[in-house]
Formats: sequence, structure tokens, C-alpha cells
Amino acid sequence: MKKIFILSLIIAMACVSAATIYWHEFASQSADSEKVVVTGSSTIAPLVSRIAKRYEETHPDVRIDVQTGGSSRGLADARTGSCDVGMISREATENEADLTWVTIAKDAVGLIVNTENTITTLADAEIVAIYTGEVTNWSEVGGADRPITVVNKAAGRATLKVFLDYFKIAPEEIRADIIIGDNQHGIKTVIGNPDAICYVSVGTAEYEVKRGTGIKLLDIGNIESSIAGVMSGAYPLSRPLNLVTRGIPSDTVLAFLEYCQSTAVHDLIREEYFVEVQ
Amino acid sequence: MEIHRNITDKLLVVGVWVTAIAVTCLFAWILSDILSNGLKNLSWTFLIESPHDAGRSGGIASVLVSTCLILIICLVVALPLGFGTAVLLAEYTSEDKLFGRIIRCNLDVLAGVPSIVFGLFGNAFFCIYLGMGFSILSGGLTLACMVLPILIRSTEAGFRSVSDDYRRAAAGLGMGRARTLVYILLPVAAPGLAVGIVLGIGRAIAETAALLFTSGYVDRMPGSVLDSGRSISIHIYDLSMNVPGGESNAYTTALVLVILLVVINWTSTWVTNRFSGGNLLY
Repeated sequence: MKKIFILSLIIAMACVSAATIYWHEFASQSADSEKVVVTGSSTIAPLVSRIAKRYEETHPDVRIDVQTGGSSRGLADARTGSCDVGMISREATENEADLTWVTIAKDAVGLIVNTENTITTLADAEIVAIYTGEVTNWSEVGGADRPITVVNKAAGRATLKVFLDYFKIAPEEIRADIIIGDNQHGIKTVIGNPDAICYVSVGTAEYEVKRGTGIKLLDIGNIESSIAGVMSGAYPLSRPLNLVTRGIPSDTVLAFLEYCQSTAVHDLIREEYFVEVQ
Repeated sequence: MEIHRNITDKLLVVGVWVTAIAVTCLFAWILSDILSNGLKNLSWTFLIESPHDAGRSGGIASVLVSTCLILIICLVVALPLGFGTAVLLAEYTSEDKLFGRIIRCNLDVLAGVPSIVFGLFGNAFFCIYLGMGFSILSGGLTLACMVLPILIRSTEAGFRSVSDDYRRAAAGLGMGRARTLVYILLPVAAPGLAVGIVLGIGRAIAETAALLFTSGYVDRMPGSVLDSGRSISIHIYDLSMNVPGGESNAYTTALVLVILLVVINWTSTWVTNRFSGGNLLY
């Protein structure tokens, strides 16, 4: 029994001293810094977290706390004032003009096929027909007489949502041959299968096309799929990544919003597979 | 007739074995998946470095610290409350009294409430109403609310499993209630308590939904319990769902979580064995 008591005592003392040292070391750091709370879209959160980290390095007096919970949460929190900045990964609607919207990047989705495929463009209706299983052979849309391998994203992927929203397909209508996870997975699948079609982030796809890895981006309708097209706004299959504020934000918040739109964060935007806006 | 019974018996044996093996295989499959994908990244630096590039590189030091702080707050609040309530339910009210029945009914309903509901409650009450904001403190308190029912019910079951002979003998020797509780009932009921604590910790450490809206998403090293801090399960969730290319670190973090749970389990079993097994205090 004595052993247990001594053991507990040692553990307790270790915990207390560790906690004391910890408080001493770290607690003072956050004493007089200004805090900016950002909440909302889980798609934007990783990007803004990284931007915030970089911003904090050059502004030690500012702390930016990024929270997630979805676009609707960002909207609600910005309105009630529970956060300083909301993150919303879609266009503003008419009754949301009470907020100030700032687009920091775009999330664009492009369709890719193998370079062996003779198809270079598909109309909206043809893409819908392929993904709902009405068209199962490339010859039906002007290609070679080969079966189509439809590659779809797993539930929860942001690109899946953009794709479904744009083409107005319900998730259960999709007839997929292969379900994959991230963009790289999709690209690898298409490289290995000359009959496959898949949609991935345009940023990643263009990078791989330039490297000549064996995929090509399809034009949608007659609009070219490219980062340039996304930047200029001509490319339709994309959604803006917005930061919203209500009323007149503080100088700290304004400075952070400006930083998010500056060229200093373009490398982070690219690394998160988004496209910067001009 | 004899043959018929033989076949039934054998079928039952086979059936029991098949289900047991199936369950074990399922667990082994999950574990091997996590091990094969997570083990290659697991290293000492992974544990002492903070996350970089939204968690793709770097380690999980800040996440581990946040998780521990949340867990400590949760246990510091939940253990005394849970223990007190359990003693009241088991020792000071009889099983069929109205008062005890009302409390038990409440606890059972609370135990079945989905964790996201606790998350929303915590967000509304601790974060907004009490003004704690997204912080480790509100996360820990929300978790305490969530694990209380489990803790109370299993501790109560532990006390109830103690034979009344012990109580009578203690009373016969002139021991007071407090002394009986500390020296007789507590050591005997220790396994029940340990089960409650382990279940509570297990539920708390694996919690995602209740913490997303209370302790938050910030992966910085927390400066105090009033800072927002990301718990280990939220880190896994975020890496696997929102961060392209975060899968391998998600697996490694999941492996750390599994190891943590196993260690907590073993420690509590060990402590329980030392405390109970007939070794009463004094």
C-alpha cells in the first residue's frame, strides 16, 4: 500500500511541476496579443490555417484562431459576431448583402482522361450522361469503340460537391466503376487506364499535364479548362472561397484580410490545390 | 434423440467459435490497416514536433498537449461529481425509491444522447453564454458532461456488486459509514470504478463531434486552457477529410491514438489489480 501511495505522490508531483513549467513557458506568450477568430467552411480552413500561421510569424502581436464547422456556420457566426471572419465556400446569394465578401481563391474542378483518348471536349449533357450511366461507350460521344470507366470521388470530397452542384446530379444517380479518394489517386487511375474519366482539381491537373504524366484536361462545352480560365472567371466549374465580415472590421482584421489576398500567400493556395484570383 | 442433441451441441460450439473469430478478425484487420499505413511515419520527432502544412508534415505535439489538457479538465470535473453521485445512488438510496429512479432515468437518457448534441450544448452554454469562447476549458467541461452518465452508472454498479454482508459486518464492528466506504466498499468496488473511468476516458479521447464546436480546430501549442486546441480525433478527421495528401499522417495519428488507448487500458487494469483482489486497505 505504501508503494502505491509513493507512486501516486511521485506522479502527482511530476504532473504539477510539468504544468507549472508549462504555464511559465507558454502562458506568458499569449498575454497581450490581439485575437482574431475565423470560423466556417472545412474546405477553406486548412488554407486559412496555413496563411494564419505565416501571418503570425511576421505579426507576433496577433493571434488568429481558425475554427471549422461548415460554410453555414461561418455565415451564422459572422452575423452574430461570434467570429471576426467567416469562411464560405460558395457564391453570395441575394439576401447575404449585409456581409462584406472577399474571394481569396477558387476551387475549380476539371475532367481528365488518358492522353490515348481521342476526345478533347465534352458537352455538359454528355458528362451528365456518362456519370449517370446512360452512356457507357466512348463511341457514343465521338470517341473510339471502347467502354467508359467512370471514376468518382468518395463521399465528403469537396471536388465531388462542386461537380454534383454544377451538373445538378444527385449523389445516388452516379454510376461509378471506381471510387477514389484524393486528386493524386484520380490522376494515377486515369494514367493507368486509357478508358477512364475522372474529375480532379484543375490546379493539380494542369501541373500534371505540364509534367507530361499521361493525362489531359477536357474542355467543357467550348470553354478551355485551365488555371488561366479559372482566374479570369470564364471557366464555369468552380466555386469561390470567400472570407466574409460584418460591419466595419478592426484594423487587425483588415490587415489580415489584405494579407490573405496578397501575392505572398499564392504558394500556399497552390499547395492546397486551389487557384488564386487576380 | 441422442444423436440429434449431439448435432445441436456441436452446431452451437461451431457457431460460437465462428462469431468469436469473426470479431477478432475484424479487429485485427482494422489494426493491421492502421499499423501498415501508420507505422512507417511514427517516430520520436512525430511526437515532439507541431503540425506543419495543415498537418501533412511535422508531428502532433501541440495536438497531444491539447488532448491531455482537455482530458485532465474532463476528469478533474467528472470524477468527483460522478463518484459522489454514484455513492449517493448506491449507498444512500434504495433501488426502488422514486428519487433514485428519477436520477437513473435521467442518466440513462443522457448516456444515449448523441455527442454532437453535447457539442452544440457546450458551444451554446460554455462558449457563448459563459463567454469561454473556443477553448480547451469549454471542451473539457463539455466532455465532462458527456462522460458523467457512463461514469456514474458503472461506478454505481461497482458499489452495488459488493455483497451486503460486508456492510453488515462493518456495521457490526461499529464502523461508521464513511469508514466503511473508504476501507471496505471502495477496494472491493475498484474494478467497477476502473471500468467506468476507462470507458469515460475512451469515450472522451475518441470524441470528435462534441469538441469541434467547443475546444476547436486551432493546432497551435495552447498557451493556457483558455486557448483553442485541436484534439487528436479532430486532427485525424481533418487530415483524412479536408486535407488532400494528409492520409499518411492521419494513419500515424490514429496509431498514436490506439496506442494511447491501449496504455490507458493496461494502466487501469494494473492499478485495479493492485487495489482489489481481496487486498483491502489495512
